[in-house]
Amino acid sequence: MTLSVALGPDTQEGTRTGTAESTDSLTAPDIPWNLVIWNDPVNLMSYVSYVFQSYFGYSESKANKLMMEVHKKGRSIVTHGSKEQVERHAVAMHGFGLWATVEKASGGPGGNSGKSGGPGQGKGKRG
Amino acid sequence: MAKAFKNGLKGITGYLEPAERELLRSLIDDVISMLQPEDRTGQDPLAALIGLDMDVAEPSDRAVKRLLPNVVKDDGAASLEFRQLTERSLRETKIGALRAAALDLDKEEIVLTPEGAKHWSMALNDVRLVLAERLDIRDEEDAEHVHLMQDWSQAEDVESYLALVYNFATWLQESLVQAMLQSLESRR
Repeated sequence: MTLSVALGPDTQEGTRTGTAESTDSLTAPDIPWNLVIWNDPVNLMSYVSYVFQSYFGYSESKANKLMMEVHKKGRSIVTHGSKEQVERHAVAMHGFGLWATVEKASGGPGGNSGKSGGPGQGKGKRG
Repeated sequence: MAKAFKNGLKGITGYLEPAERELLRSLIDDVISMLQPEDRTGQDPLAALIGLDMDVAEPSDRAVKRLLPNVVKDDGAASLEFRQLTERSLRETKIGALRAAALDLDKEEIVLTPEGAKHWSMALNDVRLVLAERLDIRDEEDAEHVHLMQDWSQAEDVESYLALVYNFATWLQESLVQAMLQSLESRR
């Protein structure tokens, strides 16, 4: 991510913007899934925090914490839920231009991340 | 010169010179044309009606793929299945935001509602993602390098011109998002 973010008090603003159709899942509904946001060098830090605040209704401090985790660690699990729920969030994140993927929660810290690199091609440092 | 977006009583306002508006309009049009779904005349009309697209493929253009990324890392098959269900509506969402921003460019002073500002921020972000692919921005170091390009008199080739345009779009989006964060704060 790039540039800095302005600070302000917490907000509970929640504009739900998910637009995807339901993607009926064949997976058992009780298996938790993670929504992962990946770092990239284009998205503004302020914008990523804005998306976390406005879409998920996260407080400013929580949004900034997750944003910094994306920035420093390369990825962050920003929410979890049923496969269908996290897929709906992923489409919304793609609508905002954020780099989101879904993955099965493995139970361990950080989920089943393991490998490095984002879902795209390139020099690989962006993931 | 453009003025930074501001959050005020009227909403979020901004001002762009005619040449800047023209530039943004053409960038937005470019991104819209990249996102326009192919016209598949043989497509099942019922499938199209509910947004299904069984003929969809992973985009070959890197910029388009950045706009419409795979949803499951290292799993092309699962990502493709997801594309069939969601890509059409994602394209429409993005095109909708880009068109809304382009419409606002017709007015001299830009006055945005919270929803309008959201569309603008999404549109500017997509424009920047496409420019960044064209500029080959792969990591923070590349981004820093492009960011150094601030002087229009240095624009001597396509690369440097694109870098200046990218930096302008970045500045504009940053000022918009700061105003949006202030607006969020004041509405809580």
